[in-house]
Order: sequence, then structure tokens, then C-alpha cells
Amino acid sequence: MKTTANIAFRNLSRQKKRTFLLGGAIAFGVMIVTLINGFAGAFSANVAENFSHLLAGHIFISGSEKLEGNDELSVIRDDAALQEAVKASGIDVRYMTRRSEFSGTLIFEGKKLRTNVAGVELDKELYLRQRLVLKEGSWDNMSQSQAIILSEKTAARLGVLVGDRILVQTQTVYGQNNVGELTVAGISYDSGILGQMVSYASLAYCNELIGLAPGEYQSMGILTASLKDADKAADILYAKLAESVSMFERQAKDENGAVTPFQRMVREQTKEEWAGVRYRLATINEMLSQVQQIVVALDTAAAVILVVLFLIIMVGIANTFSMVMFERIREIGTMRAMGVQRGGVRAMFLFEALFLAIGGAVAGIVLALIIMGAISLINFGMDSPAFIILKNGHLSFFLPPAKALLNIAIIAALSLVAVARPASNAARLDPAVALRTQK
Amino acid sequence: MKRIVCAVMAFVVVSTAVYAQDAKKILAELDAVQDFSGKDFSALYTIVSQKPGEKDSVTQARMFRRDNKDQFAMIILLPEVNKGQGYLREDDKVWFYDPTSRKFSFSSIKESIQDSEAKGSDLTLRSTADDYDVTSVREGLLGKVPVWILDLKAKTTEVPYERVVLYVRKDRTMLLKEEAYSVSGRLMRTTLYPKYVELDGKMLPSQILIVDELNPGERSQMTMTEQSVETLPDRVFTKAFLEQVNK
Repeated sequence: MKTTANIAFRNLSRQKKRTFLLGGAIAFGVMIVTLINGFAGAFSANVAENFSHLLAGHIFISGSEKLEGNDELSVIRDDAALQEAVKASGIDVRYMTRRSEFSGTLIFEGKKLRTNVAGVELDKELYLRQRLVLKEGSWDNMSQSQAIILSEKTAARLGVLVGDRILVQTQTVYGQNNVGELTVAGISYDSGILGQMVSYASLAYCNELIGLAPGEYQSMGILTASLKDADKAADILYAKLAESVSMFERQAKDENGAVTPFQRMVREQTKEEWAGVRYRLATINEMLSQVQQIVVALDTAAAVILVVLFLIIMVGIANTFSMVMFERIREIGTMRAMGVQRGGVRAMFLFEALFLAIGGAVAGIVLALIIMGAISLINFGMDSPAFIILKNGHLSFFLPPAKALLNIAIIAALSLVAVARPASNAARLDPAVALRTQK
Repeated sequence: MKRIVCAVMAFVVVSTAVYAQDAKKILAELDAVQDFSGKDFSALYTIVSQKPGEKDSVTQARMFRRDNKDQFAMIILLPEVNKGQGYLREDDKVWFYDPTSRKFSFSSIKESIQDSEAKGSDLTLRSTADDYDVTSVREGLLGKVPVWILDLKAKTTEVPYERVVLYVRKDRTMLLKEEAYSVSGRLMRTTLYPKYVELDGKMLPSQILIVDELNPGERSQMTMTEQSVETLPDRVFTKAFLEQVNK
């Protein structure tokens, strides 16, 4: 068997150009598929990490208070019990945030634009300062109580500059109309879709506009040491919170994956009855679980590309090995005359195809890794429109080793299938007929 | 001197008490004008909205009310793209029906009607006396017409505006102007009632002009026609009715 493998390996180098072209085709296909796999591997982690910084947390706790007439109010009035539970849970908390948010219309000199305004404690949200890069203005301007930071696109659509006074029309949490005045303290680079959707004001003024008392807020964000540990930390925290406050039951993703666990929890909530404030806990992964569907779609596309490319390459391999069989017909006759069995001839062809496939696949993966490395060196900047899928301004890749091995195995198997027929034909040759054959 | 001060103070106290009495009576009369309890009320409303730099938009809606059961239904007839959309009030819930998706969703009476300045609450029965406290009453002139100027503060968060100022004709209880203020105290919209029509012995505003005070140049004119107090079938106030009119 070793001799057969050696002969097969040597045969590959006899026609260097042909081997290089066939191996190159395999390598190209594998490279494309590996690049897609690598991008998908890092995509969901990057999106979740970026959202967690903009939303200020990996784990979120929000309160729902039942009012008369079955209305609900989103509020956390006293977070002492929540703070206590976080402390008692022992989870590794990097920092905690308190936010309120409203949807309102910004009005400036006859122009208006609907947007979400997040009320944040800017002195405590240091990560927001790092993530939200200001194009104009200064974070120091945010010390004014009625200051607001707008994204570049929002500011352009309203035609405002730093220092301009704008009106904001919104509703209180009870549904009453309210109007506030805000001063543009800064204009940030557009950080993806989310950056355009959200403007930032102080928590105290946001509360005043939506009718919440000082000290109250709507959502607590907890940034854990690592996104990977967030789900485990959430489980521990949920159990601890359930001991001291009333909690909504956490939900799993629905069967078809169209509804996130967070959306399911909110839906289930409408069917429930409770008094006072009940809390809900969700992780960034639960809120963004639909991102996983994009990853699945990317991986499926990669698999389809792999199969289509290799169906084409298989035809090429099958034809080439049919030709090889014809070229080596007298050699096969000599080998058979010298006592090599049919299985030996078949194995020689199959080994040759296997070496070609593995060589091409490994070359493809190496090429893909080099390209990934080169692309990840490019700094797109924190102000890139694709910010949300970047890692610190760089496109990042993660190729799960198992996926790479699976791709090699698929290609090896397909190559063996493609060569099976020429190999069988070669094995079935009558030695006398083969030796007599004139090319 | 003391006697003069006492006399002035007594006059102020008595006149304030009289004004407060008058104010309550005025609010009760205003509420009574729009209350059709015991009867059904329906009308066709045409809302023409003006926005600077945009073409005027026309919204037409047919509204049905049964006040003693607090029932309300409204069907959008224009614009064509929104035709068939409907609102239904069932108990405390307000449903919005979308004929495209054939689904009902929660809405609010405080929401604007089709992006106009008019809100659902402008068309439903509301009790100003129940919802607001009178904080001050004074006499004044609106143009050349003598009016009572009533400053009202919301008793509840159920109403869309925290403070409203009503200008009510003195010789006949007719609301001529209404100013609505935000929670922060900024004037948000002014509503004028220039034309009235008589229905079932009551004077109802047939033309309403709503001016957006935050967005200069934005206004809506609401005209009421085909008003009637004829009895409506019960099915009008059901979800099935909103679905049926779209078939």
C-alpha cells in the first residue's frame, strides 16, 4: 500500500502543469468557502459586542409597572433590590448603566426628524465615550443639563450645528404630550444603523421629559467581563433576582427562529396579570438571536458554493483522470503483467486524487488565512458605516477548525467519487490488451 | 383704609367664587353639547392638512359614536392608500385595523389621525369637567367677541394635554378657541372653531382649524358633514364590521 501511495504521489509530479491547474481550482474553491466561513464565524460575535457597547450592557434588566386600566409603564423606581441581587450573584461586572429612552420628533427651523433619544449618565458611561467618536463638539458640553449628541446624518438632515437649540416633541410614559428644548453638544460619526437611530441626552432631562422622577430609569445594563460568559452570568443573576423581586419568565427562541427570546418574553407578558413592578431580564444574545440566522444563511451559502464549485471541478477531475488512464495504459499493462492486482491499480488512482484534493484544500485554507490576515490589518475606523460588524474598526475573521477539517473531508470525498469511474476502468484493463494498445 | 382693603378683598373672593361657579357651569354645558348619550351619532370628517413645502393632503373618515356605551368606530375613506383602515374603541382599548395585513393592533385615542394635526380624542366624547380642574377664569375679547377665558389643568394623565385654555363665547356657550400646552408648559397647538351647525337642538362645530404651534405653517382644517343622530346597527361597533367594510 505504501508503494502504491508513493507511486501515486510521484505521478502527481509527472505532469506539473496539469496538477497545478487542478490543485489550483480546488484551492480557489476552498479559499472562497473558507473566507465566507471565517467572516460568518466572527460576524455574530462582532455584532453582539458592538451592540452591547452601544446599548451599554451584555445583560439588561427592565421593569414593567401595571397601571389602572391594564396599561403598563416601563420604569425601575427603586433599584436597591436589583443592585443587591447583582452583588449577591457574584458575577463579574465590569460596569452598570442606567438608561431611559423615548421616541420623539426633533424640530429645528421647520425641519423635523423622528428619532430615539437615550437618556444616559455620561459621567459613568465611559465605554460610550470611547465608542461614540465625536466629529464636532465636545463631551464636556454634555455637562449642560439639556445637551444632546446627534449623529452626523441626523444633524445634516436637521441642518443643525454644535450650539444650536432644537425642540423635541415626545410623550410622557403616561402618553401626555411634552416638548423640551435641547442644545446640540456634539455631532458623532455615524456608527452604523444604530448610530443614526439613537441620539444621546442626559438621563435627568430625559426623565423630566417622559415624566419619570429623578433617580428613576427604565433599563439597567450590565457589562460583564466577556460576552462569552454573559448567558451563564444571566442565568445566575436571574435565579438571584427571582429570590427577591417578581420576574417575567425567560423564553427560548421559537421553533422557526423568527422571534427572539426577548420578543417572546414581551409577547407572553401581555397575557399575564401582576401588580406593582415586575422585571424582565434579557441578554444581548437573546435580543440579537436573529443575527444567528444571518450566520446560518452565510454558512449555508458557503456550503452551496462549495458543492457547486466542486461539481464543476469534479467533472474536470473525472475527465483528467480518464485521460491519465489512457496516457498510462501501457504502464498499467506492464504493472499488471508484473503482478500488480486490480485493487492496486485502483488504489493508485484514488491515492493520486486524494493527494491532489488534500493538497489543493490545504493550499486554499492557507491562502484564505493569508487574505484574512491581510484584510484584518486594514483599519476602517470607528466611524465606518460598517462599524457594527467590525472589531475595533477592523474586519475580523474566525475559522472554526472543525469547519476547516469538514471542508477538507468533503473535498476529499467528492474527488474520490469523481475518480472512482476512471480508477475502476483502469483496474479492469486486461494486461495483454493494455500492452498491445498503441497511442 | 382698612375698610377699603377689606371691601376689595371681599369683592375679589366673591367674584372669584362666582367665576368658579360660572366656569363649572360652562364646562358642564360644553360637555353636554357633544354628549349624545341615548342616541347614536355619526358624521363624515374631511381633514385637509397643510405642511410647508408639501402638497395638501386630504383625509376623510366616517365616524360613529354611541356615547352611553362609550363606543367609537372610525373608518378611513381617503387617501386611497389608507382606505379601509379603521379604529374601534372597545371598553378601554382602542384597536387599529389594517386591511392590508388584515390584523388589529393596539392604538391610542391620543394618536394623530393619518399624520394630520387632529387626534382621535378630537372626535370622541370627552368630559372636560371630569378631566380638568379650572385654575383660573377671566373675561376677555376674542376679536370683538366677549369671551370667558378658562385655564384648565389636567386631573389625570389620561388626557393628551396637561393644560388647556378655552375661549368660550359669553352670550351663548360656544367654544371658539382652545390652546393646548405640553407638560413642560409650551403651547403646542391652537384650535379654532369658526363655524357651527345645529343638530338635535345642539350647536356643534362644523369647521375646526388646528394650528401646530411647534412647526410653523403646519395646520389642519377639519370639516364635519353628513352629521346624524339616527340609530346605528350594533354591528358597527364590532371588529367584524371593520373587516367587513373592506370586503
